[in-house]
Amino acid sequence: MASEAAAPETAAPDAQAAGAGTPSSTPIRAPRKPISLPRLPISLPRLPVSLPRLPVKKRTAVVPRTEAAVAPGTVDGSARENADPGIVLRVTDLVKRFGNTVAVDQVSLSVPAGTIFGIVGPNGAGKTTTLSMVTGLLRPDGGTVAVHGADVWSDPVVAKRNMGVLPDRLRLFDRLTGGQLLYYSGILRGLDAATVRARSHDLALAFGLEDALGRLVADYSAGMTKKIALASAMIHSPRLLVLDEPFESVDPVSAANVTEILQKYVAAGGTVVLSSHSMDLIQRICDLVAIVVSGRVLAAGTMEDVRGAGSLEERFVELAGGRKTAEGMEWLHSFSD
Amino acid sequence: MVAQFLGLKLRLLANIFRRSPIQLVGIIIGLVYGLGLAIVAVIGLIGLRFVDAPLAASITVTIGSVVVAAFLLVPLAFGVDDTLDPRAFSLFGVSTTRIAAGLAVAALVGVPALAIAVIAVAQVVTWTRNPLATILALLGAMIIVVTCVLGARVSTSIAAFLLATRRAREITGLIALIVVVSLSPLVVALTAVNWQRDGLFVLSGVSDVAGWTPLGAVWSAPAEAASGHIGLALAKFAIAVVFAGALWFAWRALVGWMLVTPQREARTKRYSGLGWFASVPATQTGAIAARSITYWVRDARYHTSLVAIPIAPLIFVVALAVAGVPGSVLALIPVPAMSLFLSWAIHNDVSYDHSAIWLHVASNVSGRADRLGRIVPALILGVPLILIGSPVSASIYGDPSVLPSMIGVSFSVLLAGLGLSSVISARFPYPAVRPGDSPFAQPQASGTAAGLIQSVAFFAAIILALPALGLAALGLMYGGAWPTLSLLVGVGLGVVFLVLGVIWGGAIFNRRGPELLAFTLRN
Repeated sequence: MASEAAAPETAAPDAQAAGAGTPSSTPIRAPRKPISLPRLPISLPRLPVSLPRLPVKKRTAVVPRTEAAVAPGTVDGSARENADPGIVLRVTDLVKRFGNTVAVDQVSLSVPAGTIFGIVGPNGAGKTTTLSMVTGLLRPDGGTVAVHGADVWSDPVVAKRNMGVLPDRLRLFDRLTGGQLLYYSGILRGLDAATVRARSHDLALAFGLEDALGRLVADYSAGMTKKIALASAMIHSPRLLVLDEPFESVDPVSAANVTEILQKYVAAGGTVVLSSHSMDLIQRICDLVAIVVSGRVLAAGTMEDVRGAGSLEERFVELAGGRKTAEGMEWLHSFSD
Repeated sequence: MVAQFLGLKLRLLANIFRRSPIQLVGIIIGLVYGLGLAIVAVIGLIGLRFVDAPLAASITVTIGSVVVAAFLLVPLAFGVDDTLDPRAFSLFGVSTTRIAAGLAVAALVGVPALAIAVIAVAQVVTWTRNPLATILALLGAMIIVVTCVLGARVSTSIAAFLLATRRAREITGLIALIVVVSLSPLVVALTAVNWQRDGLFVLSGVSDVAGWTPLGAVWSAPAEAASGHIGLALAKFAIAVVFAGALWFAWRALVGWMLVTPQREARTKRYSGLGWFASVPATQTGAIAARSITYWVRDARYHTSLVAIPIAPLIFVVALAVAGVPGSVLALIPVPAMSLFLSWAIHNDVSYDHSAIWLHVASNVSGRADRLGRIVPALILGVPLILIGSPVSASIYGDPSVLPSMIGVSFSVLLAGLGLSSVISARFPYPAVRPGDSPFAQPQASGTAAGLIQSVAFFAAIILALPALGLAALGLMYGGAWPTLSLLVGVGLGVVFLVLGVIWGGAIFNRRGPELLAFTLRN
């Protein structure tokens, strides 16, 4: 339990304080109206591309308040169980070993509904391994994963239905055309044909893939492959999206589109867990963040708490072991002809 | 520059020996085999020194032409990993001619080049019969080495460069397969030749033609000189020199072109609509069936199966026919044999998906839907094959009473085999060719386990069909009600085994989904 990500726990007291000043008593999963709410001074300093945003702590406020009314005195988090309706993803003491290496070492995370949760870490930190276990693609050696109260490994039917998955570096059925892949993903998820067709059309428009639906995915560029995989992950409108490196090799315009789609999804009560190397992007769009190094969660919580006074990148570099100063490279500054 | 290329090539050769012991054993076997062949050739060529000139010419020209053709064609058909690709040197700012020359010289270092050099020198011994023949053979030795090495360089680069697109790679593999298969009648024809009587005649006929082609001219020139045809000798020598020169210019031009041209872009084909997905029910089973059918149609790895399924029984039948089995009996073989190969074709289907299988795991696809969907293409092909092929076979056999047994045995083999494949592909996957690779690029890890699983899948299907086969045999011997019984038992048992296989395989798939994914990722 050393590395418990205390996201909702730390959020809760502030949330109640902040919540007291809010006029609305919002139900748990009702879409919020971000524009009408007053912006508090602790809001994110850098606004995202398009959507007016809620201040972070206000957002998480919605859930604990309802919960406190049901079970007063449990806000410190220790007594909460998987049944907690506000927590969409709860990871407890997850462990994975490959031979003698411990790839994931007792990782615990709690992700409340309606947030974007970022996982950052250096190469080989265990991000992909963790997310694979969360999505039911890799069997853990220990620990539990619960999605919306359902355990991924003992009740996979319910848990997987609530999850949309974008894995990193796994193949797609790339001899299908983009349109066929979307349709395939939708039907496998149990949607009916008419719904899949309508949603495929919307997704293609949203991701700018209209012209590519008739081509084989094998012939797509890396960025387009990422986008069609992302669209396939969303087609069954899950409560939780688990996205491993969703912005890798995606061009800036598409990345902005994807960000906007994710932010609207979260504003409507959806939840996103994503990993990325881009600190800047994580800092800009995530409400909560966990820094994972060598399979352990070194810091977790709201973006403000984790990054403190500096930027997320500074905090990350500090936690990940600091930078090596480049000495002895002076020859690079005198050019050979 | 040339020295640096040579050094690089030597270091690459040395690094071959720094691999795992098993690979090392393979490499050493390859080395011994290659050099052993060369030594046998040397002994043979020295022996030919004491044989009549026309006979020696027939043998050297025929074999020499085949060797040169192999240097030209093997890299094209099977694609060779080109460690010294000219594009690797494009950023070093060296002139094209120097790169082309350097790489050509570096290509002289290597086992095939060494073997051909040894053989080329040995053929000089064969032709030390008069001064002109000796001189032409000496010069010819150099031209042989240059032709083979440059030819291999040119075709390797063409394979790596022009055939680099996915579609081209798959198509060349298929063409190679079809060529190999269509050569089999030629092989049968050759075995039919009475070699003791007509062998020399055939050989000299081949060498007369080959001697005028660029492949054989260089081998033929000293032979003509040895027989006293000085004009012919010089003409053939000129052909060889021109061909070697043409290869040099082709190589120089190819290097120049490759250095400034990006990877060839595939022209992508557009499809409209959902294809097979639109004509199946919108369920998990339906979607997986549509996906499987689409893959059988689009994926070269399935094309190899589709080509092999009708051809494998035919080769078997041809072999039996040569052995003297009467044609009417042979007519009974193809349909059940094709059914067997068809059901066997999907015994490693999960491996063909590679890590794309994650989608099934993440979507919690039911194991039964997965198993059922995958056998649909085999059923679509197999059921009409049996229903149409059986009456045709029975009429060729000449006795319509075998028809029920024929259908019974074929269905028994097809359905029971599919049930078996459903279990095996979920429980015992083994590394398969990855999507997009040439169908002939066998994965390194495939070894004894793969062979064992393949044979078990094959023979267990036959064992499951034994009841139907036994009843069919009784029908052939005694007639009566046995064929009808064979039909009923064959179809009935086939359906039972298919259902059991789908249920059992589905349960395994449900339980082992993540392990299957982990397996595909290891390869």
